[in-house]
Amino acid sequence: MAGIGFELRKLMERGTVIGMIQAYTYAGIISSGPWVLSIIGILVIGALSIGETSADSMVAQFQVSVTYIIACSLIFTGFVQLAFTRFTADRIFENENDIILPAFNGLLLIITLAAGLAGGVFSVMLFPGQSILYRALLAGGFVIMCNIWVAAIFLSGMKQYKSIVTVFALGYGVSIFLAVYLRKSDLEGIFGGFLSGQLALLLGLIILINLEYPSEKLFDFSFIRKIRLYPSLVFIGFFYNFGVWIDKFIFWGDSYTSTQVIGPLRASPIYDIPVFLAYLSIIPGMAVFLVRLETDFVEYYEKFYEAIRSGRSLDHIEDMRNAMVSTLRQGVLQIVSVQMVVVAAVVMTGSSILKYLGISDLYFPLLCVNVISAAIQVVFLGVLTIFFYLDKRGTALILTIMFASLNAMFTLATLEFGPKFYGFGFAASLLVVVAVGFWMLDRRLDALEYETFMLQ
Amino acid sequence: MNIRNDVVQADIGLLLEGTFPYVRGGVSSWVYQIIRGFPDLTFAVCFLGSREEDYGEMKYELPANVVHMEQHYLHEKGSAPSAAECPDNKEAFEVVRALHDWYGEKKLNLENQYLGRIVELDRIGRYGEKDFLYSRESWNYITELYRKNCTDPSLIDYFWTVRTMHAPLWKLMNIAVNFVPCGAYHTICTGYAGFLGALLKKGRDKPLILSEHGIYTKERKIDLFQAEWISDTRGELEKGTSEVAYFRELWVRFFETLGRECYDAADRIISLYEANRLRQVSDGAAAEKTRSIPNGIDFSHLDKLRSKRPHEIPLVVCLIGRVVPIKDVKTFIRAMRTVVNAMPGVEAWIAGPEEEDPAYARECRSLAEGLGDSVRFLGFQRIDDILPKIGLLALSSISEALPLVILEGYAAGVPCVATDVGSCRQLIEGGSAEDIALGAAGIVVGIANPEELAAAIIRLLSDSALWQSAQKAGVERVKKYYTQESMFAQYRAVYEQALTATSAVNTPPAAEKGRCVWQV
Repeated sequence: MAGIGFELRKLMERGTVIGMIQAYTYAGIISSGPWVLSIIGILVIGALSIGETSADSMVAQFQVSVTYIIACSLIFTGFVQLAFTRFTADRIFENENDIILPAFNGLLLIITLAAGLAGGVFSVMLFPGQSILYRALLAGGFVIMCNIWVAAIFLSGMKQYKSIVTVFALGYGVSIFLAVYLRKSDLEGIFGGFLSGQLALLLGLIILINLEYPSEKLFDFSFIRKIRLYPSLVFIGFFYNFGVWIDKFIFWGDSYTSTQVIGPLRASPIYDIPVFLAYLSIIPGMAVFLVRLETDFVEYYEKFYEAIRSGRSLDHIEDMRNAMVSTLRQGVLQIVSVQMVVVAAVVMTGSSILKYLGISDLYFPLLCVNVISAAIQVVFLGVLTIFFYLDKRGTALILTIMFASLNAMFTLATLEFGPKFYGFGFAASLLVVVAVGFWMLDRRLDALEYETFMLQ
Repeated sequence: MNIRNDVVQADIGLLLEGTFPYVRGGVSSWVYQIIRGFPDLTFAVCFLGSREEDYGEMKYELPANVVHMEQHYLHEKGSAPSAAECPDNKEAFEVVRALHDWYGEKKLNLENQYLGRIVELDRIGRYGEKDFLYSRESWNYITELYRKNCTDPSLIDYFWTVRTMHAPLWKLMNIAVNFVPCGAYHTICTGYAGFLGALLKKGRDKPLILSEHGIYTKERKIDLFQAEWISDTRGELEKGTSEVAYFRELWVRFFETLGRECYDAADRIISLYEANRLRQVSDGAAAEKTRSIPNGIDFSHLDKLRSKRPHEIPLVVCLIGRVVPIKDVKTFIRAMRTVVNAMPGVEAWIAGPEEEDPAYARECRSLAEGLGDSVRFLGFQRIDDILPKIGLLALSSISEALPLVILEGYAAGVPCVATDVGSCRQLIEGGSAEDIALGAAGIVVGIANPEELAAAIIRLLSDSALWQSAQKAGVERVKKYYTQESMFAQYRAVYEQALTATSAVNTPPAAEKGRCVWQV
């Protein structure tokens, strides 16, 4: 997240309402990540298509295909996301900006080859009944999405926030427009239309990144060696993404809750729609989280370490530590209060949204649970980020492994217990890891001076 | 280089800090003399230095009765246990607190068992370096003391000062566990070696003898006030002088504490002369354990040198000693300006190694440039060669104990002009009434006073009757009070008593003088 703080602070310091709105909008976009936006994209395309096309199943096939691409590409690139973020931050810290771009290009190349191979093999092997174009789009879409997640790593570090907003608007505009325009033809049309927009988004991001970071080399693979220094980050990234999706996969795999949609891909409309709707609700929380963390927390975090380095008194160091802890507390509180408002809004309007989408009102409780889960997920992300700041990668790894395994276990259990409990597995696993995370964080922060002095 | 470590035990364990056999100097010569003076006893030598690169080859041949030799470098980065949180250890830290509280009180409590308990806890694995470095209790205690005592606001400076200070102590704990068993231990200064002696005493319950040539703590203080190495993470401009002062004070107290532990543990505390014995008592040594034994020289050997002397008094004033600030060589050179003006033809020789403080040696050489050939830097010289060629020995030191070179000069027929430091007045003018009656063997002058020094040199070199009477007094004084036979006899009694006693000794003391430093 290097660099974002500075830009956000500048926006906030203007002190105007517009400045603040800009800051939060920007933070919302880059922090929720393009993947929330992708989900919004497919939901919007779905919503716009209701009743418009004769084949509702075609829209469903499109949505499921893209959802699988999103899920698999996030898990696939989970291995490198955090480690490469750390690599970039380290280079910026060490003023080695000219290595960043060739390393990024190198990573894109590797990802493209690996994702192309994996996507190609799967679409050839598993989709014998589909057209060649669909299979090509599936593999190509997987490659595009994987690359977008990698490019997204740079979003927070870049200064041209207006251009980023423009690129996103353009990408999703093209996606939605082409998908809606081409839906008349067939599945390949709607699918291809959406992916064209994503490709435009990816290219836009690559151009922006190339403008941002100077370099004389095209490719550089030395980052692989450096990333291997942080094996924990590699696995944290994987387990986090795996944990976020495992409950969905379980629902998709269960014959009682899911139906076959296309090829081997199954979907669970009763579970998926509420879950994805719920993800829309985290954008405000993510924005608050980013602003609080990158401005207030980082400010005191830096002051804390500066106080130690520059030989200040223990009282002063403790003051900084306390200020840091209190900004954290306030940040979490703000996330919670913002998400409370969102939850309240969903509780009030949820039934009508479901009715509009043609989903049974029976799933309204599930939507409510999912909105709460999504809010806790924001807090969980915050806790993980703070552990990264404190360089406690081991703790973060334990938490993500715990999250993934609990989510799997609890979700399987809820399938046994019946529809009333759907969604509670995800919520419970998040609640447990956030509670454990807070407890660990509390101990870490309590012992922060001790550990900084004695154990480093 | 013959380092022996094939034996399993020795009679006397010599604990030597920054001296024999790696560094030349008064204390080293004395140690060499003692080892050779007791050929019937075996010695195990434990040399403590700062860092290995600070020392070259051994400067002395190890006598055959040194049956074991080991060296340790306290300021080298050791292999500290790797950082890991360790379990709370409340009871051990209660002892640590009690120990430091005991240090904090100024009066010496003979019932200090805390260090012994720490040694015991370390031995059974209940408290060790990792607890000091990594435990919560340790952090709590360090910050508690910081809040209570530290007047410098910088926590990081305080923290690292404390760590740096303790690091050598853990090495010493380790050395004390592994050193070869000896019948008794003999340390030639307080400081780290003295603390090692205390640890050996606590851990093995064998007698500990302390011979202090100088007053270690006092000399460390001089070092500390010149030192730039005191932990400081910031530029000089960023902090006021009072802040640095706190850490100096902390280091001074640290060395005082090492000294007190050694005084407390030692069964015999020997100084070179009365003034130092009194100083030890005021620093916390129990009076009944103290005594003085002056240095002694090989009179019969040096006596022969007198026959090699030319008939005329050589017009050569010689400063024999290392070219270092404590010897204040610059004052000697400045005095020579006046001397050469008054008595052209007088030469000043400076005989001593210059490698210890090359910057200072350069300054001295450039100061002497204006004097042309009248000032000569000779480097290290054997006294047998140099004493017959000189007319007068000069000592301009700002600190001395009982300089052997004065005694050697006397025996070889050379009177002396020396500053009024250590036992110099006693050596020149006499101590007891009987001694004073022998007459003055030279002239005592104030420190850092080139004019007075010059005047004394001129007087002795220009008044042959005065010079002759000084020579006579010197020869008689050294023959009567400062022969090595007398020194050996007194030390033989000390050693025999220590070796026959299993543990604590309590016999009354006798005579005088001393010094011992990091770098002698």
